[in-house]
Amino acid sequence: MPVICAETPTAELISAIQSAQNPDGGWGYTGRSSWTEPTAFALLALASGGSLSNPFLQGARWLEQTQRADGGWAPHTSVNISTWVTAPALLALLETDRARSLQSAVNWLLSQTGEESTLVDRIRRAVLGQRLEYGQETTGWPWLAGTAGWVMPTALSLLALEKAELRGRASGTRSRAQQGREFLLARICEDGGWNYGAFQALGYQANSYPDTTGMALLALHGSSSAKVKNAADLAEKQLPNCRSAQTLCWLRMGLAAQGRSPAGAVDCPRDRGKLLDLALVVLTRATEDGRARIWGAL
Amino acid sequence: MRALLRRRDLISGAAASGLSASACGRQHGPPARVSIIRAAAYTEDLTEKVLGILNEHKLNVRGKRVVLKPNLVEFDPGKSINTHPAVVRAAAEAFRSLGAADVRIAEGPGHRRNTRELAEAAGFCELFPKFDSIFTDLNLDEVSRVELHRPFSRLRELYLPQTVLGADLVVSMPKMKTHHWVGATLGMKNLFGLVPGSVYGWPKNVLHWAGINECIADLHGLFPNHFCLVDGIVGMEGNGPIQGNRKTAGVLVGGGDALAVDATCCRIMGLDPARIGYLQLAQSRGRSDLNDIQQIGESIRTVQTAFELIPEWRSLRLPSLTGGRS
Repeated sequence: MPVICAETPTAELISAIQSAQNPDGGWGYTGRSSWTEPTAFALLALASGGSLSNPFLQGARWLEQTQRADGGWAPHTSVNISTWVTAPALLALLETDRARSLQSAVNWLLSQTGEESTLVDRIRRAVLGQRLEYGQETTGWPWLAGTAGWVMPTALSLLALEKAELRGRASGTRSRAQQGREFLLARICEDGGWNYGAFQALGYQANSYPDTTGMALLALHGSSSAKVKNAADLAEKQLPNCRSAQTLCWLRMGLAAQGRSPAGAVDCPRDRGKLLDLALVVLTRATEDGRARIWGAL
Repeated sequence: MRALLRRRDLISGAAASGLSASACGRQHGPPARVSIIRAAAYTEDLTEKVLGILNEHKLNVRGKRVVLKPNLVEFDPGKSINTHPAVVRAAAEAFRSLGAADVRIAEGPGHRRNTRELAEAAGFCELFPKFDSIFTDLNLDEVSRVELHRPFSRLRELYLPQTVLGADLVVSMPKMKTHHWVGATLGMKNLFGLVPGSVYGWPKNVLHWAGINECIADLHGLFPNHFCLVDGIVGMEGNGPIQGNRKTAGVLVGGGDALAVDATCCRIMGLDPARIGYLQLAQSRGRSDLNDIQQIGESIRTVQTAFELIPEWRSLRLPSLTGGRS
């Protein structure tokens, strides 16, 4: 894997991604067995070039074959639960029209909510006399069923549902997507960005992070909220402090989604280039120069 | 998977292996032994001190695969959040000098997705020039399914990293800190970092919904023989594990019985271990006794320093430090 820096040509990164593909068509986090998340982002990176090459098609086939009966995806074929990786898998498969119906994946996403916003948990809290805490009245997406909603899976699920609608592959997602946006807007930290979860814990303010802020900005593209504008202002200030390619990429894609083009060159850190890093750098460059939008619109 | 577990159990479970005599499960046996060694600063020769602890516990790691599991959570230069890399380096050198065949550092942080970024910010790359070659990101490692037998939590299985499951000895290397959800985070709570984010997300929220104390006790049940080496040189008090304040305790604490090590650390911090939920649970299975611990080196009394507690946890204060008021 190449060391990533601002000068690394995109073609070299794509070549490295293709070289890292496993014989079964998928990609791994660390070059071993295939996992759903790196496979999905590798496919999104390859598709951002505009043509669906053989490696892309082989990877898409791997994703199709590993979709579970409930419509979702497990992180790995050895894992027997569908999780948040369904969102990136859906985002990737929506790049091709040869994939079978994806409505089951959309339905799986629509069926997922943070446990704290389920009727059962609300009744439980009412019985115990516990008040709703910060932003818990809104409905996000969990990492996996039975747990709370968090910013990252909510942002990715929002993007996937929007892309499915835009590509004409699903319907009936808009009200759930709106709930997700409200979830994100309700979770903005005091400093203007996003933490992984709530903006407070036990009365203490939580700090925001650049990667979660970037993901939320990406998912809230098109928002006219003043809070989102403030968050984009914060994101621009966070750019120079990003220490890794992944963090920088999410922040840059978030800013691009908000129509921001930060002045001056923003170097990629010299990362060692794990698969996910390479894929995100390719995707970010395509997003910034208008060749790709992860949520599907061009 | 079965093979991995058998290997670990065979090596660590049998007293005859000689890996850790004190680490073996004991019922009504001699008291667990826990070392308390003074260490005033990270600039001291910590390798000698760690080696002293390991020798005291008669660890035989010759030819074994050792995984050092520090606690990496966040980077904030003004705070004392992460296990200091100097302590981890000292442990690595000590285990190598004892003949360990392989010493890896492995961690799966619960917040930050980029573990290497976190490790670099925490100073690990500076102290370990070939850090990438000896480090495993447990959040992205290959996993195997492990069944939980008689769990305290509602979890029935966990997917865990093969690097850890295949190790001969896991060394939990936490920072001595207060914790806003469970009172204190020490050797047993540090095992949360073994649970992979790739499967469970960031944070590993499933462990919270299944009961934090219960899950800590369950993980302890999966790795009952891990060795603990606690960085108590500078810990954290108040709203830990991230937003609290630096607290100098000036100690390294080590031993092969995690419950006894955690209980000792609690007492050093001025907390009553009998009021920590996960210690109560772990003790209920009869492997260890919170009140039957042989302290080696310093006594608790000579190093005890009360860590500040947030209001929700003031009831944890040792009665002896409150004049009997709880």
